[in-house]
Formats: sequence, C-alpha cells, structure tokens
Amino acid sequence: MDKFKYIGKSVTRIDGKVKISGAAQFIEDMDFGKNLLFAEVVESPYAHALINNIDISEALKVPGVVKVITGKEFPYKFGLYMHDRHVFALKRVRFVGEQVAAVIARDIATAKKAAKLVKVDYTELTPVLSVEQALDKDCVLIHPELEDYFHVPWFFPKKKSNVAHLRKIRKGDVEKAFAESDFVFEDTYTVPRYAHCAIEVHGTIGLYDNSNRLTVWTASQSPHTQRNLFAEAFAPLGITHKDVRVISPFVGGGFGGKAGVSMEIIGAACAIACKGRPVKVNWSRAQEFYNTYQRQGITGKLKLGIMKDGTITAMDNVLYWDAGAYVEYGANVVNASGLSATGPYRVPHVSIDSVCIYTNLPPGGPYRGFGYSEFLFGLESHLNEVAKKLGIDPVELRKKNAISEGDILTYGCKMHPNGLKEAIEKVEKEIEWGKKEVSKDPNIAIGKGFALFWKAPAMPPNAGSSAFLKFNEDASINILVSGMEIGQGYLTVMAQIAAEVLSIPPEKIRVETPDTDRNPYEWQTVASHITWGCGNAVERAAKDARNQIFELVERALDKPKDSLYLEDECVKSTIESNFKLPLRSFIINGIQKEDGSYRGGPILGRGMFMPEYTSALSDPETSQGGKQNVHYTVGASAIKIEIDKRTGKIRIPKVVLAVDCGKALNPDLVRGQVTGGLLQGIATVLYEDMRFDEKGRMLNPSFSDYKIPTSMDVPDEIVPIIIEVPQHDGPSGARGMGEHTMIPAAPIIANAIDDALGIRIKSMPVTAEKVALAWAKKNAE
Amino acid sequence: MAIVNNFDYVKPKSLKSVFRLFKQYKNPIILAGGTDLLDMLKSGAVVPDVVIDIKGLNVLKRITYKDGVLFIGACVTYTELIESKIIKKRCPIILEMAKQVASMGVRNRGTMAGNICSAVPCADSSPVLLAYNADIVVKSSSGERSIPAEDWFVGSRKTALKKGEVVRGISIKLEEQPQGASFLKLGRYEGEDLAQVNLVVIALKDKTYRVVYGSVAPVPLRARKIESFLKGHDFYKAVLKEAVALVESEIKPISDVRASKEYRLHMAKVMLEIGLEAAINRLSGKKPVYGTKLL
Amino acid sequence: MKNEIKFLLNGEQVIIEVAGNEVLLEMLRERIGVKSPKCGCDKGDCGTCTVMINGKTVRSCLVLAAEVDGAEVTTLEGVMDGGDLSPLQKSFLEHNSFQCGFCAPGVILSTTELLNKNPHPSKEQIKEAIAGNLCRCTGYTPIIDAVTDLVK
Repeated sequence: MDKFKYIGKSVTRIDGKVKISGAAQFIEDMDFGKNLLFAEVVESPYAHALINNIDISEALKVPGVVKVITGKEFPYKFGLYMHDRHVFALKRVRFVGEQVAAVIARDIATAKKAAKLVKVDYTELTPVLSVEQALDKDCVLIHPELEDYFHVPWFFPKKKSNVAHLRKIRKGDVEKAFAESDFVFEDTYTVPRYAHCAIEVHGTIGLYDNSNRLTVWTASQSPHTQRNLFAEAFAPLGITHKDVRVISPFVGGGFGGKAGVSMEIIGAACAIACKGRPVKVNWSRAQEFYNTYQRQGITGKLKLGIMKDGTITAMDNVLYWDAGAYVEYGANVVNASGLSATGPYRVPHVSIDSVCIYTNLPPGGPYRGFGYSEFLFGLESHLNEVAKKLGIDPVELRKKNAISEGDILTYGCKMHPNGLKEAIEKVEKEIEWGKKEVSKDPNIAIGKGFALFWKAPAMPPNAGSSAFLKFNEDASINILVSGMEIGQGYLTVMAQIAAEVLSIPPEKIRVETPDTDRNPYEWQTVASHITWGCGNAVERAAKDARNQIFELVERALDKPKDSLYLEDECVKSTIESNFKLPLRSFIINGIQKEDGSYRGGPILGRGMFMPEYTSALSDPETSQGGKQNVHYTVGASAIKIEIDKRTGKIRIPKVVLAVDCGKALNPDLVRGQVTGGLLQGIATVLYEDMRFDEKGRMLNPSFSDYKIPTSMDVPDEIVPIIIEVPQHDGPSGARGMGEHTMIPAAPIIANAIDDALGIRIKSMPVTAEKVALAWAKKNAE
Repeated sequence: MAIVNNFDYVKPKSLKSVFRLFKQYKNPIILAGGTDLLDMLKSGAVVPDVVIDIKGLNVLKRITYKDGVLFIGACVTYTELIESKIIKKRCPIILEMAKQVASMGVRNRGTMAGNICSAVPCADSSPVLLAYNADIVVKSSSGERSIPAEDWFVGSRKTALKKGEVVRGISIKLEEQPQGASFLKLGRYEGEDLAQVNLVVIALKDKTYRVVYGSVAPVPLRARKIESFLKGHDFYKAVLKEAVALVESEIKPISDVRASKEYRLHMAKVMLEIGLEAAINRLSGKKPVYGTKLL
Repeated sequence: MKNEIKFLLNGEQVIIEVAGNEVLLEMLRERIGVKSPKCGCDKGDCGTCTVMINGKTVRSCLVLAAEVDGAEVTTLEGVMDGGDLSPLQKSFLEHNSFQCGFCAPGVILSTTELLNKNPHPSKEQIKEAIAGNLCRCTGYTPIIDAVTDLVK
C-alpha cells in the first residue's frame, strides 16, 4: 500500500490554470499608472575602451526627457561572489553593449530618440577576445584593480593578471600515477558561449518613493539575493535592507539567466534618480542576448591515465574559462564545476585547474548546469576515445569506473549512496546498447552515444530557505516562500509536501510568488536545490503547524497528543474512532470551551532549513579539507541518431535519460524537466551557434540567427527514467534534478556521431555544416 | 516595441487613390502583409511619411488562371497560395515553396509580392519566379508595365520598381507541355529559417531544364551552364554527376553568419542531385508529392 | 494624423483612436489592457505576440494597430469556453503542457486555428501549426501529446 497520498503523485500543477487562461501576470504585464517613466540605456559600441567624457546636454534638451544618469551618479560596485561590476561603466567599458548611461523619459519613443543624442567620447583599447590572448603575459589588464576587489574567501584572484580566480584541486600524485599507468591519453575540447533564450526577456520597474522606500519589481529567480545586492550597492546612499523591497511575479523562464543581478540594478538606479516616480527598464531581445548573463566558453585540456583493463588511475584537467567582462557570479561556475570536473568516476589521483579568465565579452554567469555541461562534453567524449583505443566497450568502461558510495571525491569527502549503477543499467537496456543498427537508406548512418552525468548544487555553505504557512477559515492554506516558479513546478511540489503533512489536498493550497516584505528568506532559485532546501523548510513549517494543532486539541479537549492524526482535513484519534474535528471549525478562531471562552487562535507554521555541514574553506592549493558540496544528483543518458551523410543533418529517433532524484515528488514534473532539459541541451550541440566579430560584437543577437528548437525539431521518442535512491536529508528523500537533464546532451550526440561516421568532433556546436564537411573530407581521403 | 517615427496610415479603396497619395506625400511606402515592413519601420531602415495599406483593394486579392496565364494578385498571402486549388493544379511548386516560408502566423499575412519587393538575397519566392520567367505587373498613374523576373532583381534589396509604381500582381505564362518541378530550401534545422541556399529545378518533357539558385548571390541566379548541359538529356546517373560538377563554376556563394561558402557549395550540389531527381520523377507523374519537404 | 478604428475584440466592440505608427501588440496591451499576447522578440520570430485576425493567427508585433479596423480580433481570452477552460485548455492542463506559461497564449491560439481548420490533424500537422511558437521549457512533446490526445 502506498504510504503517501500526495507525494509521488503527478498532481496537476497548481499554477496551471492561471497560466493557460492568460491570467498569469509577468513583469511586462504589470501596470504602474500614468506616472510611469521609461528608461533607454546608452550602450558601449566597443569591447574595451576608456570613457573620456559623456555629454548628456543634447539629450536633456529633448522634450519629455526627465533625467539622464551615468556612472557618475552611481559609482558603486556590486556583485554576488565578487564586487567587480558597476551600475554603469565608470572609467572604462569592458564589453560591447555594456551600459554607459540611461535616459529616462515620459515615453519610450522619446527615451530612444534622446539616447541617440548622448555623446560618449572613448579611447579604444585592444579588445581581449580569447583566453589565449587574455593569458598572454603582455596582454592588457581588463581589471587593473583586481586585487582590491571584495570577494568571498574561497576565491583566489591572481593580481596583475586577467585571472579572476583559480580553483586548484590536487588529490594524490598525478605525475607518479601517469608514470605507472599503462596508457596516458590527452586531448583538447572546446565549447563556446551560449545564451539562455528564456522566452520572456529581463525587465525591471523601480520606484523610490518619497518616503525613501525602494521597491523593485523584477522577473527574477532571486528576489532576496537581489534585495541584498541592491542594499549593498546603494548603502552609500543611506539605503539599507529594510528600505528595499523586491517583488517578483511569474517568471517566463529563467534557466539561471534571471538569477543574481544583471540589468535589474539599472532599474533600481533609475528609480533612485527619479524619486517619487516609477521607472521601467525593459530589455529588447537583442539586449537579452548580449547584456545579460551568458554561458561561459571553455577550452578543456584533458589528460587521462588508465590501465589496459580500463581502470582509470589519474586525471589532469585544465579548464580555461572565457568568463567575460565581469565574473561576480560566473567565477563560481568556474569554482563549482572545477571541484567536480572528474565527472561521476572513481579517480584516485586528480589534478584540476579551473581558471576563471576575464575577456572583453559579455559577462558569463549561471546557466542550467553551471559549468558541468561545459566540461562534461570534453570528459565524456574523451572517455569514448579512450575506450576505442583500449578496445573496451564505452559503457563497460564507464561501469568499471563509475563512482560508488564511499569513493573519495576530488576534494576529499566521500560519495553518498546513489543510483548511478542502476541508471547505467536501465539506460543501457532502453537504448538497446550493443545492438548495431543499419539504415536501409544508404545515405543515412545510425549511431548511438552514451554518457554519465552528475552535479551538486553550487551554493555558498550557508544558503538558507524558509517558509511560513498560514491557514484560512475554510482550512485552505497559503504557503509563503521566496523560491521562484520559473516553470519547473516548484509551487506545486511545495503544495504537495504541505498537503502530505496536513492532509489538505493541493487544490486547497496556494503558494504565491514572492515579495521580500512578506515572504521569508530564500537564497535563490538556482542550483536545483529548492525542492530539497525549500522543500525541507515547507515540510518543517507544515509539521510545525500540525504540532500546534495537536497541542491545541490536547489542551482544549483533553485528547492525548500522541493519539491524534490528520485525515481528510480533520483531526482524528487512533483511540477514539468517532472523534472527528474539522480543521475549519477552529483553525482561525480557536476551540470553544463549555464556558464560552476559546482556546487557540490563528494557526501559523514556520520552517527553516540551512545545511550546517558544508564549508567552502579548504586548502587553496589542493581544495582538500572542506566539505564543499551538499550532495550529488547522478544519472546516465543515451541517444540514437540518424545522420544524413550528404547534408549533415541529424534526426533523433530516441533519447533516454535516467536521473536519481531521490524521490520523485511529482513524476510528471520530473519527466517534464527531462524532456525540456534534453532538448535545450541538444540545441547547444546541434543548432545554437553564437558568433562574435573581431571587435567583440555579437553577430547574431536574434532568434533569426541564433536558432533554438521549434516543435519541428523534437526527437521522436524521449524516455525519462526515474531512479530513487533516497536523499537522507531531503523531503521524503528528494533531491534536485532540474539542471541535470541538460548536462549529458552534448557528449551523447558527439559520441553517437563518432559511432555512426567514425568522426570525432572536439568542438561545439556540431552543426549540420560541420558534420557534412567533415564527412565529405573523410570520404575524399 | 515602439516605432519611433510617426507617419500617416491610409487604407485606400482604389488604385487611383494610391496614386493620389503618392503625389500628396514625399516618402510613401506600400503595406501589404507587413511581415518585412514592420521590422524595417522599427529599426528605422525606412522612414516614410505615409504607409499605404493596399489590403483594401479586392482586385489585388485574386488568383486567376486564364488562357494559360496564372495571375497572383499582390495581396495574396502564402496561406492562400497553399490553400488555392488553382495553384495546386497549375503550378504546384508555388505550393511547395509557400509551405516552407516562415510559419503559419507569418504565412497568414506575408505575400509573394512583398517578398520580391523586399528582394533580400535569401527570399524564397525569387528563384521560383525567375525559373518560371514570371512577369511582375506594376501600375502607376501613367499606366501599366510588365517587368520580367530577370530584370526585376537588380541587386540585394534592389528591384526595378520605380517611384510611383505599385505591384499589381505576378503573371506567369505556364508552358503547356508536361513538366516536373522541385523546390528545395536549406535551413539550419527543421524549424523556420532564412534560406542558406534555395533551388528550383524544372524538368520539361522536351528535355529542356531550368535550374535557379537563390541565396547564393545578391539576386536569384539561373544556372545556365547546367541548363545547357542538361538540355536534350534523359536523366541518368552519369548526367547527374557531370551536372553537379558544374555547380562550382556556376555559383560563388559567400560565407556569412548563417553558413560558410564551403557548405553552401557542398549543399548546392547535394540539392541539385535531389532536386533534379524529384523533378524528373514528377515529370512522369511519380512521387514525391508536391508539398513534400525535400531536404 | 490619427485614425479612429472600430473592431471587435473577443466579441466586444472597441472604438479607439490610434496613431499611424502604433503597433497592434502595443495597442492591445498598453491601451486596451489585454495582456495575454506578449512581446518576446518584437520581430515575429517567437510567436508570443500571436493573436487572431478574422480567425487567422498573426504576429501582432508585425501588424499596425490601424490595420484591424473592421476586423475581428481574438486573443486567448476570446477562445475560452465562456470564461471557463476550453476542452483544448483542459487537455493542456492534464498533460502538463506548459511550465513557465509565457508561450501558452500563442500556442493555444495557433492550435485553435489548426483545430478550426482541421479537427483531426496528424502529429506532423500539429507540429507544423505550432512551429512558429517558441517554447524553451517543455521540449514541445507534452504540448503535442495534449492535442493528439484531444483529437483522437
């Protein structure tokens, strides 16, 4: 008999109806009255230049212009893990499109017109557009004051260089291990930048009212973190946390791009500059491409030591990250993925250098997978090449070296129980691994590819979640949390967790979008951690409420607390079968005694969760000694592709992904993440192709030329497999999986192409053009 | 979202009114489907003082076939082309091309006439009209003239349309002899895309051929060397191989953000193979059915 | 010069003065307050601005407001079953077809046009009908499944 009533069930999304009826309000849909002002940003045309002078006089003359602001009015730095960014570029610009000024006017057409009249005098500097260039000892410094920047203690910038952070992991003795290995194979893999392409663009409205209260409405994954960053940045103006309120409505897709603070601070600054009137900054699609976070590019130099029986002995991985002009968030991508760059394998000797490098390209930041998709392409491609050279089946090689419970991770801690082995076996079976298929059409080649994946939530060691839970007279519930519903189904799962504890059906539970004044703290909705972190907080809040209910019933009606339970929205007793007290009869107004007085009052639950066992402090030279990650989610994936050898186009008849999510609180939502994440990952391999010119300008900032998949591009069959090895400290055993479904997509395709055509492509994207020309070349030889 | 520059909007009821408006304003521009024009208005690429909406002119909405001449009015949308029985019967290659233009919501508004007036190198309609020796019928206050397709395309975004003229429609004198044709469009994936290479192949019963490439030059390009090589030949593999070998001497595509010249050349050859085979099959009434996506 | 236009919006008559350069999407959202069509790219590439004009879906970011004079304009609000969820919407809900919901209005209108023309479309036809509506969250499969299930 299923012990759960709501957990593990594919409950209908509680935000489903509001979204498909058009009632869901996104940031662009909010009205602010006739007093609303509009801001247009003046952008740098150069990737790297000194700002000599900004002449706003002509712009100010345009009727309808209220204010023009520049870095002069806001010379403040901000950032999440590092303070290396300004609100507006101050003395120099560091990427094409960087904000230099904002024109605020009564309507957007006026703001646009006036923005063209702002004259900025620049002195061009050499743009640094590659990691090789940035690392050259004679290269111009993009951040000459790097050593003075505030940063979290576990970052290590190299002063007087373009290296913003270097994460070094050293475990065992790689050189000795290489010397003692039967084989050492090395190669280089490159992955370029990618854009999130959430269908909703970034937008912000700010209001600094005449009582000195700053309210910022944003499409954000992180309202509390945004509030924190605004309060930090504007502290010199006398603004503190209590003066700042951040409100986020529904968000039209985030994928990491709406985490942290990117363009939102412009809205906040414009609001402060125009006290008493709301100001709106809305990004165009082009700005969404070049002036929000991008996924960093990477060049990975991988060296693997292995015995002839396939046992991996050592790995040396040097990851050069093109992290962009500002790395206040992106440096943690470099950090977190560096710690896990062995992939889910047992590797006794490890040397990893994850290098965060400044370039004059858009700032890199969080993107679904947080660096893992980037390094896994190289790692999983390389393992296949190694398997080929050793004559071992690539899946057998992975099984042999797959990480198990108790194995030592790169940073010295032990791996926890996990379903990796089960995932591999189930995927192997589903894709019919080993069965070679040949197409009847001589132009078509069929191939299969396999990869493992893993990821740990990348967070500071003190990322907290909290929840309030309040009842209404009809025993419905409002759960107040500050996690964000970005589409993953988070609100529904929180409702399910509370529903299970309190026996109230999810349809009677409302989980609202956050307002930092009213909803308690949540660090950010990133890292695939809020099902686990905030889920724990909600579960505790529900249990707290339940406890108060039982205590009250015991106190008021003399029923022993231990005998009470909740069922069908009533309090019942195991020792008194006809005791049935509906929650609605007392949940607000208390229980009435014989003398007419009441006991109790409104029941309000409170819960909080913050892991107390993680620490980012470790030896800076080796990364040993800390406990950097809370847990890993692991999995395996495989794909079958059909390649048209003449055109290079790839069709996907089948793709399989198994992920160990501990406990699938809502299986349909888990499967939804698999389908969506796989397609997003597949797109990075096959279609998305970001181009920059020699001056650092993005050439294709539109959907016309940066292709994201349409309904015509979906695989024929996607098979999600749910593995459940419980997370010991997760709500009902759950752990996150939202990012993970994207991570293996690139290498499974690269491996399948190699299987089909015998061509190993070591850089992404692997477009039809690349495949067709590679095959034509191979054929001609 | 905003179009910064303001202009008047007028929706006349007759062509005469259109010409009157041409006289009244300095910088008039014609609006049919708007799927290209709106973007140009937003970017400031065009700065008119009046936008003249010709969708009120019913005479421009018709598709007719009479005495061997197919006429497509300037306001006929791609969706209407796809749904037209006349097009399906008389010139199904237009159906095949129209189905691959953009997506449903754009096809419901966009027109072939608009497409060839924008005259971007990757336009889908252009190689079709050139292959069929279409005439673009334009009208002005001083009368009407027909511009043959090969004279219409002057350069990238440049046509032979003069100031004061409006496209009334596209006229195609269809040949009576049996023929088979194919339209191929190279995109980066299955979803909507701007063509990196376009190709139209027509195979006629008298063993003459027409081969027109789009998106490999500023204007659509007739592959005359290939056409004259194919002339008189039945279709067999050796012929095909030699025809394909001529592609490199026929076209000199460029590299841009969408495709490299090497891939364009490679695909131009692959497309010729597929297109020629399909056209020949259709000449003898065989599959693939018109409207199939051949690439 | 301003134009006074008269049109039906979801069955209700609207009389409004518009500037020549006013775009339909702007007019609907900012002046009339109908928020379901969204602005995702402003170039007609993403489909979130989709509305129907005389029963045919168009990209309202590529239509001037003045062009709808005398026409019937339908947004998502107009295809609901008298304010309740239509059978199509109910199927989407059951199949978990949407995640963030931003593309939903456009997808629902495109699918509505398809089903009005063709009550029993094939899977290919369903895919083609929504090919102009970009979705980044779902991978499209649950959307296609919902329509397939509804029409079988």
